[in-house]
Amino acid sequence: MPDVCLYFQVHQPNRLIPYDFFHIGEHAFYEDDGLNAEVLSKVSEKCYLPANRMFTRLLREHRGRFALAISISGTVIEQLEAHRPDVLESFQELVATGQVELLAETYYHSLAVLHSRKEFERQVDLHLQKLEDVFQVRPRVFRNTELIYNNAIAAQAETMGFDGVFAEGVEWVLNGMSPNHLYRAPHVTQVKTLLRNSGLSDDVGFRFSDRNWSEWPLTPEKFAGWLAEAEGEVVNLFMDYESIGEHQWEDTGIFEFWKGLPEAVEDAELSWVTPTQATQLFRVVDDYDCHWSTSWADAERDLSAWMGNVMQQEAIAKIHRLEREVMEVGDPDLTHVWAKLQTSDHFYWMSTKGGTDGGVHQYFSPYSSPYEAYTYFMNVLADLQVRLRRLKEAGGRGAGGKRRRGRSVSGVFPSP
Amino acid sequence: MSVENVLLIFRGLVHSLLTADPGESGFPSNAPLLPMNKRLRVLKLGWEFPPLINGGLGIACLGLSRALARQVDLRVVVPKAAEEASFDDFKLTGLNHLRLEEIQQTEGKYRYESFAQIERVPIHLDPYETSEATVEEIRMEPGGEVRFSRTTRHQLESFQIGDLYGEDLGTKVVEFSKVAAKLAMLTEFDIVHAHDWMTFLAGVEVKKATGKPLVLHLHASQYDRAGADARGWIFDIEKYGMEQADRVIPVSRYNGQVCSGHYGIDPAKIRPVHNGADPVAAYHTSKKFPEKLVLFLGRLTAQKGPEFFLEIASRVLEKNRDVRFVMAGTGERLKPLIESGAFRGLGGYFHFTGFLNKEKVNELLSMTDVYCMPSVSEPFGLSALEAAQFGIPAVISKQSGVAEVLKGALKADFWDTHRMADHIHALLTDETLRAEVVKQAEADIAASTWDAAAEKVLEVYRELVP
Repeated sequence: MPDVCLYFQVHQPNRLIPYDFFHIGEHAFYEDDGLNAEVLSKVSEKCYLPANRMFTRLLREHRGRFALAISISGTVIEQLEAHRPDVLESFQELVATGQVELLAETYYHSLAVLHSRKEFERQVDLHLQKLEDVFQVRPRVFRNTELIYNNAIAAQAETMGFDGVFAEGVEWVLNGMSPNHLYRAPHVTQVKTLLRNSGLSDDVGFRFSDRNWSEWPLTPEKFAGWLAEAEGEVVNLFMDYESIGEHQWEDTGIFEFWKGLPEAVEDAELSWVTPTQATQLFRVVDDYDCHWSTSWADAERDLSAWMGNVMQQEAIAKIHRLEREVMEVGDPDLTHVWAKLQTSDHFYWMSTKGGTDGGVHQYFSPYSSPYEAYTYFMNVLADLQVRLRRLKEAGGRGAGGKRRRGRSVSGVFPSP
Repeated sequence: MSVENVLLIFRGLVHSLLTADPGESGFPSNAPLLPMNKRLRVLKLGWEFPPLINGGLGIACLGLSRALARQVDLRVVVPKAAEEASFDDFKLTGLNHLRLEEIQQTEGKYRYESFAQIERVPIHLDPYETSEATVEEIRMEPGGEVRFSRTTRHQLESFQIGDLYGEDLGTKVVEFSKVAAKLAMLTEFDIVHAHDWMTFLAGVEVKKATGKPLVLHLHASQYDRAGADARGWIFDIEKYGMEQADRVIPVSRYNGQVCSGHYGIDPAKIRPVHNGADPVAAYHTSKKFPEKLVLFLGRLTAQKGPEFFLEIASRVLEKNRDVRFVMAGTGERLKPLIESGAFRGLGGYFHFTGFLNKEKVNELLSMTDVYCMPSVSEPFGLSALEAAQFGIPAVISKQSGVAEVLKGALKADFWDTHRMADHIHALLTDETLRAEVVKQAEADIAASTWDAAAEKVLEVYRELVP
């Protein structure tokens, strides 16, 4: 019977104001602070606070017999610091139980790994630093944005010294193998790949509240039974923290479910492990050869949620193309503003997918359409270019030889 | 189906002529010879009228009406007028404010049979349509004979509700022609002047009811709105109306070529008259960004050529990175245009504003460096004149009426994006050229008044009523 490894993702993006053409060159603040604070507070009341309270209590009650992992993005930590320090405290309290493992990710919850190794490493370092400051921990396992993963990312995680890396267990890579083992990417020696069991994770994360689901209502005992029947060494249940109370409201009974699950798992004679414990306890059984990037998003489980249409492709390519200019200017505030525009959600909202997945994209979007999301984002990008140009020109004029940067027009304007 | 309907409408009109009895109407005999000093009396039929407007038609009607009213006695009849709209120089009648009693005197003077036979009227005919939607049909129950004289309260009330270009546009056009003819029988006038297809049937009807000469003013045709291949009942009404008219006034020579070449109207009765442009309070604001600004302004429909503007922008940006492009307006092409712009990698330099109100349009004009109008077919193109009033040089398509007015504007065929791009690049970089174009435009604007237009319209009237 396998062990059970539970991980929750905590993240909030910085939504942009309706940044129309007339703002360009004039309005240097892009984020909708009011809306971001409002959403944060709403999610805090419905999910973060009650869920933190519940898990803190459960972890204390089941001392040593229940554990979980959390990955919390830099952007949400910043929002909590600014708007809800009380909620950040409750996360600190949760981590202080000693039974919660924190994971490493990109500070900005970005897709930087696909565009710039340098920027990716910078963001992971920033995140490690932030976790050190806020929670006084140093993660051993890396979890990339939305479980975006391929062989190269596994190798990158190894280079950065992690013991484990998360991925979606996708059928076309597993090719009949079970996700409930540890695997290793080709050409890496240390880092172990933990695969999300998408079926069992989605039973709780998505289907739990679906009254048309043949298994509804799902009880902790029933679910623990499924876990016990599973093959392999470890079942990885990975999902959004917000699925407790926010994506699935309290009246669906989701809190009751989680309250009962630790005990039900114990009664089924299964054990809870954290990701690091899993990497220590279990050997890899095989190669997991993932050439093509996968993720946990949408039915496609690939990058199409963020890079599926031309608007997304253009937006993400152009924001990353500014990297050299931004770094040359070296203004910490501007760098931060630029990096926050890399947050995956910006591109997620530009998706033009239909069907159930399209509905999910739209549910999370602060805009009325993907076209609006794209238009505002590109206007913001234009303003950022104007600011960069001004800073470079001012820097070139002011400081003479040493600080003079390249002022060529081609430097300011990446070709379209 | 729709063509049949139009034929039914035509039959109704013809029938009405046959059954009308001018002798009973108590009107003075037709075609009076006016004393030279007597002012002409003009009955003008319009559709939209400020402040209730969707597009340029209402603005043009008002501009021309004001100028004409200085020379003739003018009564303007529109389906819907704003409560507060009243003008000193001419009388504006909105059928939405008309009381039943006012036209009841014409009871029994006149009848239509064929309108009752119309079973289906294709609806969804908004010429200013801005979004994609499915075409629907309403079904009108065939009834017995409908007497023209029975102007029901319902008929008049239909003008009080809904949009001028709502889903019942087809019905409104027919109802308008019935009521307008009835009103005309109670009005003393010498000439009837109708603006655009929505009022063409009414114009023909008035002509047939009263025998007065008919002038049709063509601001935009189905050719401009829907392309050269467009056929359907609007096309049929336009063609029929112009055939029945004594004179046709297109808003440009280009538009006149459409009348004669596309609709087969006798060139001998076509008299192009350019629109005027009301002076605007032009001002200049400095841009908040260092790049130059090239503007496209208009509904995002295929006929305005927005796809060509994207291509032009691509070509200019290949040579000149110091420029931003703005596409202001909305329409059914917006989404594909945004995606096409992204595909071309124009994001960050090519900006979509969506719909803008007049104030925002002016703000945009006040910072624009070059105006670009690559319309596939533009009967006039007032916006280029408005831009010129802001001192903006224009690059416009040869397939536009305003090209005849703005003599100094740089021109190219709408499809010639290379040349368009060259023109824009030249205006952005060559200060001398830019100054020349702007200077010529100033002279052209000075000549483009509604008074000048009214003068020419009056000449057309005098041809018909010496």
